[in-house]
Amino acid sequence: MTRAVALAVYGFLHIPLLVLTAFSFNSSKFTVWEGFSLKWYRVILQDTRLLEAAANSLIIGLISTSIATALGTLAAYAMWKRRAHYLEGSLYLSLITPEVVTGVSLLAFYQWIFRYLDIRLGMHTVILAHIAFSLAYVVIVVIARLRTMDASMEEAALDLGATPLQAFWRVTLPQLTPAIVTAALLAFAISFDDYVITSLVAGVDSETLPMAIYAMARRGVSPTVNALSTIILVAVGFVTLTAERLRRS
Amino acid sequence: MTRLRFWFLLPSRAVLAMLFAAPLCIIAAYSLLTRGPYGGQGAPWTIENFTRLIDPLYLVILGKSFWIAGVSTILCLLLGFPLALFIARAKSHRAIWLALVTLPFWTSFLVRTYAWMFLLRDTGFINTLLQAAGLTKEPLPLLYNDAAVITGLVHAYLPFLVLPIYATLERLDPALLEAAADLGARPWQTTLRVTIPLAKPGIVAGCVLVFIPCLGAYLTPDLLGGGKSILIGNVIQNQFTTARDWPFGSALSLAVMAIVLAMLLYVLRARKGAHLL
Amino acid sequence: MKRRTLFFYGLSGLAGCSRPRPRLYVYNWSDYVAEDTIPNFERESGIEVRYSVYESNEELLAKVFSGNSGWDVVFPSNYYVPPLREHGLLLPLDHARISNVANLALRNPPWDPRLEVSVPYMLGAAGIVYNPSQAGNIGESWQSLWEPSLKGRITMLDDPADTIGAALKKLSLPLNETTEAALLRAQTELIKQKPLVRAYLNAEARDQIVAGDLAAAHLWATTSAQAIEAAPHLRFLYPREGFAQYADTAVILRESRNPEAAHEFLNYLLRADVGKDIAEFSKTATPNAAARALLPVEQRDNPVLYPAVPGEYFATLPAGTQRLRDRIWTEVKSA
Repeated sequence: MTRAVALAVYGFLHIPLLVLTAFSFNSSKFTVWEGFSLKWYRVILQDTRLLEAAANSLIIGLISTSIATALGTLAAYAMWKRRAHYLEGSLYLSLITPEVVTGVSLLAFYQWIFRYLDIRLGMHTVILAHIAFSLAYVVIVVIARLRTMDASMEEAALDLGATPLQAFWRVTLPQLTPAIVTAALLAFAISFDDYVITSLVAGVDSETLPMAIYAMARRGVSPTVNALSTIILVAVGFVTLTAERLRRS
Repeated sequence: MTRLRFWFLLPSRAVLAMLFAAPLCIIAAYSLLTRGPYGGQGAPWTIENFTRLIDPLYLVILGKSFWIAGVSTILCLLLGFPLALFIARAKSHRAIWLALVTLPFWTSFLVRTYAWMFLLRDTGFINTLLQAAGLTKEPLPLLYNDAAVITGLVHAYLPFLVLPIYATLERLDPALLEAAADLGARPWQTTLRVTIPLAKPGIVAGCVLVFIPCLGAYLTPDLLGGGKSILIGNVIQNQFTTARDWPFGSALSLAVMAIVLAMLLYVLRARKGAHLL
Repeated sequence: MKRRTLFFYGLSGLAGCSRPRPRLYVYNWSDYVAEDTIPNFERESGIEVRYSVYESNEELLAKVFSGNSGWDVVFPSNYYVPPLREHGLLLPLDHARISNVANLALRNPPWDPRLEVSVPYMLGAAGIVYNPSQAGNIGESWQSLWEPSLKGRITMLDDPADTIGAALKKLSLPLNETTEAALLRAQTELIKQKPLVRAYLNAEARDQIVAGDLAAAHLWATTSAQAIEAAPHLRFLYPREGFAQYADTAVILRESRNPEAAHEFLNYLLRADVGKDIAEFSKTATPNAAARALLPVEQRDNPVLYPAVPGEYFATLPAGTQRLRDRIWTEVKSA
């Protein structure tokens, strides 16, 4: 019984995306199959705006994920040693803040900053925003792993004369690597996927992929969105498989 | 150790102070100001923005938002719990089953919403299929209603619920289930009276992680709801853009956050599921 | 090849490499320039243009109001020009550098007499596009969108100004009505209409009416012209009670780091041949008389784009009215 329901739910999760993928190869833009064609993929690869948006999303994702993962891991470790109540509170608060509120509050913040510093909205404002909201997710994942980890190895290292920094760097961190990778993947997915906050704080030269997709979706049906989503699905599937392989080995 | 800890915490504290606390303080300040004649905000200081909230119109919208978020969460639970159970009981290839749950999550949220538009519209896949099979003559109005919005939300946030529940179920001691069986419980009784109570922390965490984004959602109601219903997320977004009434929007945002916070504190205190988060 | 170069140039620009050419940042509505408008300008002037697009005024405004959005030239709708000006966000135009402004037919608009801070770019209006085989012989009135027989096959624009405006015109009230009683009557009309409305859609309605899903849609003239081109059996009408007109204007932001290039760009857009290319490609009505004269006859005299009887322009409303309208919109959406 559970099995039947579970398989049905898997179907619910995947069928919409599979249908989307199937019709990305349709030669017409209507939902009547008219023949196999790769033309929508060709359209995408020639659409400079989409390619730039994809590049922007990747750059923003990589930079913000690296920084958020590093900062978040350090914070999680420190909070595991001894709780930091204000930081914890702020992290949870940032999780429950609706995205639209985070976005407009950052926009208001930037408005104030711009009075005193000569900077403008752009990639950097987006990257900063992404770091801010990814931090909580990283901390949660890493601290969950820390709590189930065996602390005796680190204590042994300290007993043997290692400094706290050495103990962290050479004993705990290697044990944490799988959790850090998971946290990084999570942060990247959230950053790559974000529309609401990014659209509010992006500026010139900083349109991201979700913003481009939203613009396309608002203008009506177009199989280019299907083709784009298939590419994303395949790329993400590939990355997930590789990450899984790396984790096992 | 304390020196190390101080330096480890410093960057995160700085980031949150600057990019989270400060912006929120600005919003709090704006909520007490008045809208300027052409938008913007300035003196005088007033609590009028908050008194404006006590208005049947906004309370109804808030109520509807809670209802949609609540229904979506419950549906996620009904669909997600069996799934988590299935994966936890799977003898092999657990990683693959898990990956299949998270794979849709990794594609863009907008793509998933668009997929539902593609399926549900009048000239969409489902209607074309039904008409080709001769089951219907006219296209069914599947899109642009609350059901479509809820479907989109459930589809988007299901993984958020499955993962915490799976994490709890994975650590479940199978001996407990065996003991129940030995004592004569049938499978459904075991599930109901042993498994589910033990999975409670995961269930609570999962529900929280689904309910909150659903409450603040505005893209899904916009795209899948045809703009016909307005949820609290839409109202907030509207204040900061078309209406250019930042003070009122700020007050609205703070009110929603306060309600969510109150709910969370109640749930966490009552259920003690906080340690999972 | 050229596009790929532009793409990699953009990437290197992101990486902060030095830029030999002067740069202009332009933020415009989607599909509002012809395909070679920007490349031709870049070639003739030697200025590099970074061109981005948006789908709604709101996206533009939230960023421009931050005072440091990074753009030089943007295209707000006419009723946003006074607020932008009051906030000191616009650069006064130097007419000596935009001599082509003489080409315009609209030199003294109500929102900016003497064109001190803005230049009209494209004209627009909102009316009703309908499918005669489904909607039958509908009268030339806003009442057509309130017809019970068309239930579930009508859409209205997802824009408070346009839709509240439609209700006001149906009641033969002024488009920029400010009295509370009158506005509440409009609200009643819209709430009465809501069960008949399939959805509140903007450009999305075009595909649906072309596909035959809709009987009638409240839609902009430009979008309707595009729909009619895709499905020639469709018709468009301007209701006899009156309709809303607007102009998308080009402005230079005060924060612009390259006002000379910005002026040069505006002057280029005002050229007759350039204006003609844009109007022809985007199928919009142009305020540029010289450009209009160059258009092919079907476009130049297209009654969809150039209404025989003028409509009313949206005006900027006082704060109290704005708040009331916003509340009415929320009430209608929540009904």
